[in-house]
Amino acid sequence: MNSETGFDPELLNRFPTSEERPKGEVEELNRIWAAPSGWARLTVVNNNYIGIFYTGTAFLFFLLAGALALVMRTQLALPLNGILPQETYNQFFTMHGTMMMFLFAVPMMEAIGILLLPQMLAARDLPFPRLSAYAFWAYFVGGLSFFASLFFGLAPNGGWFMYPPLTSITYSPGINADFWLLGIGFIEISAIAGAIEILVGVLKTRAPGMTLARMPIFAWAMLVFAGMIIIAFPAVILGTLLLEFERALNWPFFDAARGGDPLLWQHLFWFFGHPEVYIIFLPAAGLLSMMVSTFARTELVGYHLIVLAILATAFISFGVWAHHMFTTGMPDLSISFFSAASMAVSVPAGIQVFAWIATFATGRPRYNTPTLFLLGALITFVMGGLTGVMVALVPFDWQVHDSHFIVAHLHYVLIGGAVFPMFAAFYYWMGMTSSRALSERLGTWVFWLMFAGMHITFLPMHLTGLMGMPRRVYTYLPESDWMATNLISTIGAFTLGAGILLFLVDLARNFRFTVEDDAGNVYGGGTLEWLPTGLYSTRSIPVVRSRSPLWDDPNICEDVEKGRYLLPNAPTGHRETIITSPLRAEPQYLQIMPGPSPWPLLAALFTAGFFVLLTIQAYTPAVISGVLTIPCVLRWLWETDRPVAVRTADVGAGIRLPTYVTGPSTHGWWATIILLIVVFMIFLMTVFSWFFLYGIHPRLWSAPDNLLSLVPVLGGYGAAAGLLFLGRHLLARTKSTHWSPATQILLAAIALVAAFGIDLWSWRESALDPELSAQAALTFAFLSQQGLLVAITAIMALYLALRNARAMITRPRNTTFDVVFLFMLYTAGQGSVTAVLTRLAPAGFPA
Amino acid sequence: MNAWVLLLGGLTVWAIHFFLLYSFASLFPGQEIARILTLAATAPALAVDALLLWAAAGRAFQTDELDRWVYDVSATGAALSFIAVIWQALPALLV
Repeated sequence: MNSETGFDPELLNRFPTSEERPKGEVEELNRIWAAPSGWARLTVVNNNYIGIFYTGTAFLFFLLAGALALVMRTQLALPLNGILPQETYNQFFTMHGTMMMFLFAVPMMEAIGILLLPQMLAARDLPFPRLSAYAFWAYFVGGLSFFASLFFGLAPNGGWFMYPPLTSITYSPGINADFWLLGIGFIEISAIAGAIEILVGVLKTRAPGMTLARMPIFAWAMLVFAGMIIIAFPAVILGTLLLEFERALNWPFFDAARGGDPLLWQHLFWFFGHPEVYIIFLPAAGLLSMMVSTFARTELVGYHLIVLAILATAFISFGVWAHHMFTTGMPDLSISFFSAASMAVSVPAGIQVFAWIATFATGRPRYNTPTLFLLGALITFVMGGLTGVMVALVPFDWQVHDSHFIVAHLHYVLIGGAVFPMFAAFYYWMGMTSSRALSERLGTWVFWLMFAGMHITFLPMHLTGLMGMPRRVYTYLPESDWMATNLISTIGAFTLGAGILLFLVDLARNFRFTVEDDAGNVYGGGTLEWLPTGLYSTRSIPVVRSRSPLWDDPNICEDVEKGRYLLPNAPTGHRETIITSPLRAEPQYLQIMPGPSPWPLLAALFTAGFFVLLTIQAYTPAVISGVLTIPCVLRWLWETDRPVAVRTADVGAGIRLPTYVTGPSTHGWWATIILLIVVFMIFLMTVFSWFFLYGIHPRLWSAPDNLLSLVPVLGGYGAAAGLLFLGRHLLARTKSTHWSPATQILLAAIALVAAFGIDLWSWRESALDPELSAQAALTFAFLSQQGLLVAITAIMALYLALRNARAMITRPRNTTFDVVFLFMLYTAGQGSVTAVLTRLAPAGFPA
Repeated sequence: MNAWVLLLGGLTVWAIHFFLLYSFASLFPGQEIARILTLAATAPALAVDALLLWAAAGRAFQTDELDRWVYDVSATGAALSFIAVIWQALPALLV
């Protein structure tokens, strides 16, 4: 067997061990991993709790958004109905779509990931539990504040995709649109935090032996899901930032008269928006793959094809965004490319569907409630996929664009591709978190009500659309002939609602949250989440030798429980998990994990406060809240990255692993790189916007008059980079003084501030006015991003100096030092590119 | 060749090829040059796919489970990409 890291794979053959473990280890694990009680429970960071909080909150938003849909359907049941006035209807459909996409679907998938992944990978927890807690609380507070806007008549009303110019200050003068822009921008931060956690978790905390070829399909799906969030979400973050700048500062990014273009918003939004559909679908498909295998009582057919299909879906989904823009007058060849890609994306989805059917065909299927939901998902998703291929055809899309046909199509895809799989997963995995399983008898009723309701609602809606009824209209005339199909749709919606209500009854009767006394593996799954667990996850971390370890090794549960595998105790006396290599999952080191803390919660509250207060234009309190976030984050980080007294620890069978490692193989390094990819994607999208707007209005662009300032700006950034490398070099030298490495970092921060200051000053002195041209507005958008990065690096440098003063910077390498180094180096690089691009790119183009 | 490069190579080729095609069509709307550039970009994309297929084939007879699996995914991915690149370029000939 080959090795990835130099670790001898033969060592893993020592497990399971045969000798008895010392007494008291389980009690010690329980003590270390115990969750706080009472009000202190709010500071919990264990994935079991955060996962269930997260799932519950996402489901709450699903119910709230669903309730809005029922009111809308009541309004549309009959022509000229007067239940909802036009303005309220606009707010309802905007909130329904926004909540379902941003507050339910994506967070629900992240929530299920946080809940299931550690157990599925047999990790003690995901690598950044406090980040998970922060992501949850930020989402919880931000989401509820966003929803509350509805009660004050301040909810956004421009549709879930918020197209300008409708959402510009001219046509949406209130703060309704700002609630969307700031609220969603904030919730995206939470989603990205969760994605970083999941990405690093799947790649670095798998049980030894769980190579890429043995990873549960859900882990593959979550890996790709998180990667897609990292690439896609920056586009919408930039979009919301630009639109908010336009509304607040009159910078004309989307105003055609001043060199902007409303289509830029559509490109930015849909570059995020279409992959978003697959961001929702892929984890759900991963759940389906896991369940199909269990219910068919056989291995999944075409495992490698399904992995390839998941990867292919992710790639192709980034090439289909403009199929939402077929009616905007793009060049024929362009729309043909997008049409071709939109048809192609159905191929990997088809591969998965055929693999599921083949698994059922080759196995011995059992029929129960989750199987019903699974089959319902399959049928519904395929129907939605077929209408998806129809709308990928440009002439057909022209006919049905913005009609109820599209509403029907997207609900088929999303309910079949995410909602039904989610309900199947609720039934299937309930045994992991509840002491009682859900009722099979009630579950059958729930399924049929939901399945029938879904199709009664949306099948006739295709006809409503083909008959010409547009989306987002609050009523229609009796002579339009749309009443019959609308009435049927409304009856269907209430049937669907009745199914969900019955599910709530079942939940109330049977769901009893527990960590240790769970109902267990009710359906006989073969993957690791069904090992006996406590708050510390599994007693010992098994060696994985197949894709379904519980099916292939009948003794694994007992061996794990008796501590016969890795890490049967807590050798450092802290919370810890094994970090493994990304390809072959070879053990690398023990990660010391942080425990419960109020600081992530407080940081989330103040971050939410900043955005909410900013939205309601309470600027001073917003700034105070934003500033208070900083010490909370720093305090939370202060307790991390501390080497322990034990340099290496025995993790079982005589295998010793280091307890502190630095450099590119560490989880901290990986997380920083991923965060920098997010920052880079925001920058890249700004560069795209720059060239896009130049391409639309080249004659409105002019060569800047501050070329000479390029010299000191580049000099400053170059000096910063040099000082950073010098600091890192000095840290590794034993002869350097205690303060010399940190001093270089502080000097580098000063150089960054100086370079940025000169850049900003030179633009403020130039003739370009950001209120008068999109070119200048984008230049200042670049500078805003750079300013934020420089401010963060200044705080980082001071934080590093503070840790240095407390002798917390280890030599020859230190993780905090590495993180600050990487972030500052990137900032210098982006600043240099910004300075060159904004000065030279337009000047170099023909007028 | 690195396992990650092999695993993601074919799909990356498709993605780069797609974005090049979109750029050509946007930079030269309605012009013949966009079609010519499309075909010009397609030939090297297909060549890289063929190269990836060949590189993946080097692992076809590996006894190591992971290497063998990487071959399966990479070779299928490169083959899929080969077809997808042709499919993606067809509008330049047909539209």
